[in-house]
Amino acid sequence: MLQFAAPASFLWFAAHDGRLALRRVRAFFGKSAGAGRVFAILGVALAFFHALAFGAARMAADHYRGDVRSLYPTVATGMLFILPWIVSQALTNATRALYSRGDLDIILASPMSPRPVFFARAIAIAMESIISVAIFILPIADMMALVLDWRWLAIYPTLLAAGLFGTGIGLFLTLALFRICGPRRTRTVANIFATAIGAAFAIGLQAVNIAPAAFRERLQQAVQGARLTGLLDVDGILWAPVRAATGDPRALLAWTAIAVTVFALAAATLSGTFASGVVATIGAEAAGAADRQGRPARFRGGVGRALRLKEWRLLTRDPQLVSQIFLQIVYTMPISVVLWRAMGPNGSAALAIAPALVAVASNISASLAWLTISSEDAPEFLATAPVTRGEVERRKLEAIAMPLLALLGAPMAFVFLSSWRAGAITLFYVIAAATSTALLNLWHPVPSRRGDLFRRHSQSKIVAMIEHLLSLFWALALACTAFGSLWAVAAIACAIGVLMTQKPKGGVLATA
Amino acid sequence: MVQDARPALSLRGLCKSFGKPAVDRLDLEIARGEFYALLGPNGAGKTTTLRMVAGLLPPDAGEISIFGVDARKAAVEAKRITAWLPDEPMLYDKLTPLEYLEFVAGLWSVPTATAEKRAEELLATLGLADNARQRCEGFSRGMKQKVALAGALIHDPQLLMLDEPLTGLDAQAARQVKDLLRERTRAGCSVILTTHILEVAERLADRIGIIQRGRLVAEGTMSQLQAQAGGEGRSLEDVFLHLTRESDAVEGRAA
Repeated sequence: MLQFAAPASFLWFAAHDGRLALRRVRAFFGKSAGAGRVFAILGVALAFFHALAFGAARMAADHYRGDVRSLYPTVATGMLFILPWIVSQALTNATRALYSRGDLDIILASPMSPRPVFFARAIAIAMESIISVAIFILPIADMMALVLDWRWLAIYPTLLAAGLFGTGIGLFLTLALFRICGPRRTRTVANIFATAIGAAFAIGLQAVNIAPAAFRERLQQAVQGARLTGLLDVDGILWAPVRAATGDPRALLAWTAIAVTVFALAAATLSGTFASGVVATIGAEAAGAADRQGRPARFRGGVGRALRLKEWRLLTRDPQLVSQIFLQIVYTMPISVVLWRAMGPNGSAALAIAPALVAVASNISASLAWLTISSEDAPEFLATAPVTRGEVERRKLEAIAMPLLALLGAPMAFVFLSSWRAGAITLFYVIAAATSTALLNLWHPVPSRRGDLFRRHSQSKIVAMIEHLLSLFWALALACTAFGSLWAVAAIACAIGVLMTQKPKGGVLATA
Repeated sequence: MVQDARPALSLRGLCKSFGKPAVDRLDLEIARGEFYALLGPNGAGKTTTLRMVAGLLPPDAGEISIFGVDARKAAVEAKRITAWLPDEPMLYDKLTPLEYLEFVAGLWSVPTATAEKRAEELLATLGLADNARQRCEGFSRGMKQKVALAGALIHDPQLLMLDEPLTGLDAQAARQVKDLLRERTRAGCSVILTTHILEVAERLADRIGIIQRGRLVAEGTMSQLQAQAGGEGRSLEDVFLHLTRESDAVEGRAA
């Protein structure tokens, strides 16, 4: 694969990084996924998304009426989702490149300039970010071209430019964080930042939805007024990516030029900084660890206490968990917003947040269970302790309960204060949802490293699917109970039924 | 005081196969307070044997008795008096050595005051007192190995199983570990150790067992092994190579 390029040239490094990036993409489909399986999954996914996109293109055709501008708001909305996502991906990947250096140690120790290395790595980061959204976006381009106009194929180069632009911004952000926070804290801060940026548009939409009606009206007027002239004018530079996607050649040229410039600027001017950044990260976290003095251990006996305390310590010291929880809360908020708005002016905020609480409880419980059970750092050590496996598992489940209580305590109190009945119902379903997803992860552990938390759903697609189904059924059951519908019984039966299909033969908890 | 006459470890006809036999009808006995070194080429079955004794692998057949406790039937009882230290330290990077020892002491139900005192002593003996409250994530491999050793010793096991305990340790750390092990055997603890560093076995072990293809091909004190290899004054390396080659030759002829 590397033979076509001269060793140590830019192309040589690009091929090397491309190969590593492809392997990471492949790993997403499972550790043992062969090329055939990856292509089969991708083929099915592409067919599925093309079918969805066909429906969307037909709907768009109804609104189209020959004026491409009528679709600008839709395209702009899509852009506002994609660009932050790419920036967040670039931030994550650039941080990974800095800290999990892998081959960078040996490359930077070799007698070569870091510039082509960094440039190739930046392109690999851009490609990975583009691939992560291409599977959803490009089918839309194909179907829009088929149903409406071939010029919609311009989405292809527009996405490529968006990938370069977003990656450029992501790289600048990474190194800015590096300068501001220092090598020791950048990884944690960048994780949280990446999560916030990736969800920025979702948060923005929800903020607007939650805002009072008068404020929303004023905002709408301001935007409409600004559209006529200035930066928000649809013919202005800010709308260039939108016009580029719809096939405007001048806009496409301008957008590509901007994207390439930003990317090249980031890659060229920051290559030296990146190299020194890599060097600075070596030992930085270790030095940080040395500085972090733990509280004096108290040596209070008891197997249960020892196991729970160990799990709590590890959970509170997990840098990824914070951003994971934040992300899950952000992505679950729309349920509440939609429900609240659907209830009208007399709607109950408590009733609106209850299903979201159930969803959050099930997701976070699953994540905590995965961290404590699947990614146990020393499973063999625990197996040599004079404690039954059943006791270890019970203690681990107990340990999960405390952080959940800390996280959901305040919103649960709010629901209880609004209505005792609503509080009791919500508490019941929160406990049911959290217990069921924790049990699911206990019954189907997938030994992994803690660092794989974000990719845990790619390790077992079945467990991921069941987890989502459980979350859905319990939230549905709560909603039905709250509205006095007997359908709640059906939803509960579905949740329990789905969970029981996953119960391993031979009992709930291992006993030896 | 009546001395417990039961062997610290007794293996009878122990078998484990992963397609082909890894441990093959192994008989072995270690006395109380004895330091036993189990040597063998790569893949000879040393680690598999120790993992079965530690309760990490179920044997296909055979008996494991630890101070008279049937380790297969009463696993928890057997684990209460043993400790296992693998070649890769099993630690929690985000815990400090003190927190790790607190955790281990809790698992083995060591009384609070005893655990606290032992933790301080072990960390001091192993030269880790200054690092006691730093997270293990920044530690070198040798430091991690020493923390894991402290964990293995905090509940004062009667049988200590060590798989390549000196891997990655510098000379000073290796000396600290060797001194600590000697002191433990003097206190009555039995030690079974696997190592590729033959000098360690030669200096520390009361008896040495040589295992090949899952079978014990030779066993005895250093002088007994030298005699078996046909020459006094030969180094353990010579003895080891001689006996394993001889065993190879016997296997070859049998085949």
